[in-house]
Amino acid sequence: MKDSESTFKATTAKDALGARPEIGAQEIGPDKWEVQLRKGSLELAILSALWHGRLYGLEILRDLETRSELIVVEGTVYPLLNRLRALGLVESEWVESDFGHPRKYYQLTPAGRLRAVEMARIWVRFSASMTNLLAPLNEDLKNDDPRKDEL
Amino acid sequence: MTFTAESQKIIEEYLVALRKQLRELIDDDVNDIVEEIRFHIVDKSSDDASPEIVLATLTALGTPEELAGRYRTDELMRRAQSSRSPVTRLQSLFHWATLSMAGVIVFAISVIGYCLGGGLVIAGVLKILNPHNTGLWKTHYPDGSWSLGAGSGSQPGHGKELLGWWLVPIGLILGSVLLLLTFQFGDWCLRRFWRPRVPRSA
Repeated sequence: MKDSESTFKATTAKDALGARPEIGAQEIGPDKWEVQLRKGSLELAILSALWHGRLYGLEILRDLETRSELIVVEGTVYPLLNRLRALGLVESEWVESDFGHPRKYYQLTPAGRLRAVEMARIWVRFSASMTNLLAPLNEDLKNDDPRKDEL
Repeated sequence: MTFTAESQKIIEEYLVALRKQLRELIDDDVNDIVEEIRFHIVDKSSDDASPEIVLATLTALGTPEELAGRYRTDELMRRAQSSRSPVTRLQSLFHWATLSMAGVIVFAISVIGYCLGGGLVIAGVLKILNPHNTGLWKTHYPDGSWSLGAGSGSQPGHGKELLGWWLVPIGLILGSVLLLLTFQFGDWCLRRFWRPRVPRSA
């Protein structure tokens, strides 16, 4: 087993997924703060992915990758789903599939839906506040941008 | 899609190691987790089940130790919050102490609280069982200095017992209150300061 474990360590998720910042990954992006920000949003991202119905783990990962800039480290999502289930925010059930093995589907509980709405509301309010706050900074950045003539 | 013998071996070794690392959790949860991870690997390798693809999938999951650690931490903290057992509580606080300075402080205070509280209760009980040799003694020395000693066993030669039978109610009541306060302290700290982490990946 030792050999296998060392093999797992040899190739990092970073190598496999490129240089984009990842949720749940070590400092990879341009700034540790950005990684922390992305990490903090993972719970909301997962609850949002489940908003329209039940999904299994890999579907959630693919949904997050398709619908957002988020690249989620796989080993982070399953324990987090387990925690959300323990908190009563999602429920899970094994469902037989046509692929020869069952899949564990997750769906939001009523408490999970409330939590998602509450988190989304906070996120939108916070985001709007920050956008207002950053408006002058964005203006200055635009004026200083050497590419502004090309735009 | 069929796995090669080598791919199958890699997967099984990973899952056996994962199961071993999850041994602190209850069996049903372990089976659930291991099966979910097994089928994740199968799904990820559905187009290409070569050992290279399987290894890449396992790399993305992290080592068995890392993956299990993420499950274990949340589980231990959850168990601590729902358990009334000081032993379970201390186990979980110890695990917290391995993760952060806040955990170290809470664990240290809890250990001191449980030891003092337990010691006082034991002293109260021992005073009933062995009254002559259990107590709090103040011993004076010829040079004018003095010292305090507490315990059960042989009575110090020149010591004067200070509490007498008061040790029984003081030990039992104060000890119980201290144990209760320590328990409540750990409970409060876990609720107030413990934030389940989205752990860093490999």
